[in-house]
Amino acid sequence: MFNTDVSKNGSSAPNKLANQKQNKPIKNTQGAWLEKQHISQSLVTLIVVFICFISLFCGLSFGAADISFADVWHSILPNEEAQDVGFIQRIIWELRMPRAILAFLAGSGLAVSGLILQTVTRNPLADPYLFGISSGASLGVVILISLTGGIFTVMTPIAAFAGSLVAMLMLMLIAGRRQSQQVESMLLAGVALSFLFSSFTSLLLYHTDPQAVTAVLFWTMGSFSRAQWENLLFPTIVITACIILMLAYRRHLNAMLLGDESATTLGIKVNRFRLIMLLLSSLITATLVSMCGGIGFVGLMIPHIVRFFVSQGTVFGILLTALIGGIFMVWVDILSRTVLENQELPVGVITAASGSIFFLTLLYFRKNRPS
Amino acid sequence: MSQGLQISKSALLTAEQLSWCTDGNLILDDISFSIEQGSFTGILGPNGAGKSSLLRCLYRFVKPDQGVVSFEQDDIWQLNANDYAKNVAVVLQETPSHFNLTVHDVVALGLIPHKGIFARANNSDDEKIAQAIEQVGLSHKEQQNFEHLSGGEKQRALIARAIVQSPRLLIMDEPTSHLDVRYQIQIMELAKSLGITVIASFHDLNLASAMCDNLLVLKQGELVCQGTPKAVLTKEMLSDVFGVCAHISEHHQHKVPHISYYYGYIHNEHGERHV
Repeated sequence: MFNTDVSKNGSSAPNKLANQKQNKPIKNTQGAWLEKQHISQSLVTLIVVFICFISLFCGLSFGAADISFADVWHSILPNEEAQDVGFIQRIIWELRMPRAILAFLAGSGLAVSGLILQTVTRNPLADPYLFGISSGASLGVVILISLTGGIFTVMTPIAAFAGSLVAMLMLMLIAGRRQSQQVESMLLAGVALSFLFSSFTSLLLYHTDPQAVTAVLFWTMGSFSRAQWENLLFPTIVITACIILMLAYRRHLNAMLLGDESATTLGIKVNRFRLIMLLLSSLITATLVSMCGGIGFVGLMIPHIVRFFVSQGTVFGILLTALIGGIFMVWVDILSRTVLENQELPVGVITAASGSIFFLTLLYFRKNRPS
Repeated sequence: MSQGLQISKSALLTAEQLSWCTDGNLILDDISFSIEQGSFTGILGPNGAGKSSLLRCLYRFVKPDQGVVSFEQDDIWQLNANDYAKNVAVVLQETPSHFNLTVHDVVALGLIPHKGIFARANNSDDEKIAQAIEQVGLSHKEQQNFEHLSGGEKQRALIARAIVQSPRLLIMDEPTSHLDVRYQIQIMELAKSLGITVIASFHDLNLASAMCDNLLVLKQGELVCQGTPKAVLTKEMLSDVFGVCAHISEHHQHKVPHISYYYGYIHNEHGERHV
């Protein structure tokens, strides 16, 4: 009897020993592997940053007035011999540079806010626009137009920002009340608010003149044409601060992915944390919507693309999301200025079209990839 | 009533007259017990008896309507959430995640209570994570997607997370449900090998009998008996609480009670059992 016990017991004991023996050498290679991974991450980051600068450079060069790379270079680093650059320099410094920077900020801001929302709601379909923030902004703009009669004024971004803040506060009030099932009530309330604001917008538009309707329509499709140096400071601060906070809370964000209960057991005040993160991403979105109008799909798509290749929980993953979002948007802006001659395509049209095609391709390859 | 006064100094966790109801249903009804330092406690009971709810009260996910849970004489609701997480780690039933966190990322979550938000993981943290992963035998899967692991491997990864959390108390809510027998034993032996106080809910009574020093039995939210497996696992208790008839013998390895169930419940017409 005793003997059989020992043999039974023994069957697992040598196993364990074998495991331990195997693990010793593994640990060393593991360390080397981690180091290797570290180097490759730095390399990828460097490459992406490089692509970033190339893209911004292209953004300065391409456009209605074709400016050669050499001229762009001379304008950025002015020297005495080039005299003819005065006009070009003005185009680059006053028009294209702020525009390219705004495009980059918008792309990275929307991508990061999408990543935040998808993480804290554990919903891969969460998007900055899902929560009624852009429809709140549209409503703000339409109210302004119907009150003042003017098409676009200095007040437009302020009205849009106010509109999205109202949407955001209403959402927070609804979601903050519910302690359990916060995610569900957030998503449902977001969709409901979105429709509510849209219906008000339609109602107001119905009574304004057709020219205003066209202007509002164009505005909701997004554009970077209103980029100016003095307007860039605020979004830069908001987006940089949010990314820094997000990096700081990356472990908390990861913990949320394994469920509220699990996050609670790690000492996280889940509901409060989620509201703070919602506030951050709404702030990014409200800032960007007020400056560039509605640019859909980026917040949904970029985090997915990045997640497809790297674990989102690391500093690397978050930075990559921000950079890729920015690069994508710079190119979208270039396309919007160059595809049609003498005309600008709405940015939102390009993001949605190119994004969805890319997305479908990605899904196709994932489906056919051997696991 | 007097139980509160009998708390011994070595008790790590005590619950006094715990009651909790939701939507008008009394889920936990006046539960009192204390957990000795270093003990392995199993919580038993049929489905819906309140095992998970009781554990939720212990790990601060649910605030009881009445009664106090104290960790080393301190009311856990007076403690800072983060401080409590430094002392108490929890392994839940399967936790789904649709995002590609690697095993390493999941295990690294155990650092959260110990790290300020701007603190980076240093070398000793990395070593701690690697060691924990090695301890649960997942070194070869460290960089794999958590989502692609099998049920047993997921539970092992979560135990590694708990190891990194370096708690004094480990709470596990049915960590072995829908696992193969081998993994059920492996998970529980792994928990036992940590040498810390463990509270776990069990479905398999024989496994509980083999692993635990102390058992708590719940029935409809009430604590009906507690004590050593030998004292608790009796024919009468099984028939009263679980509604089954069984023969209790001695397990020939550890001499703990071993339950053999009798079958044939569906055939009786009048609710009488064939024994």
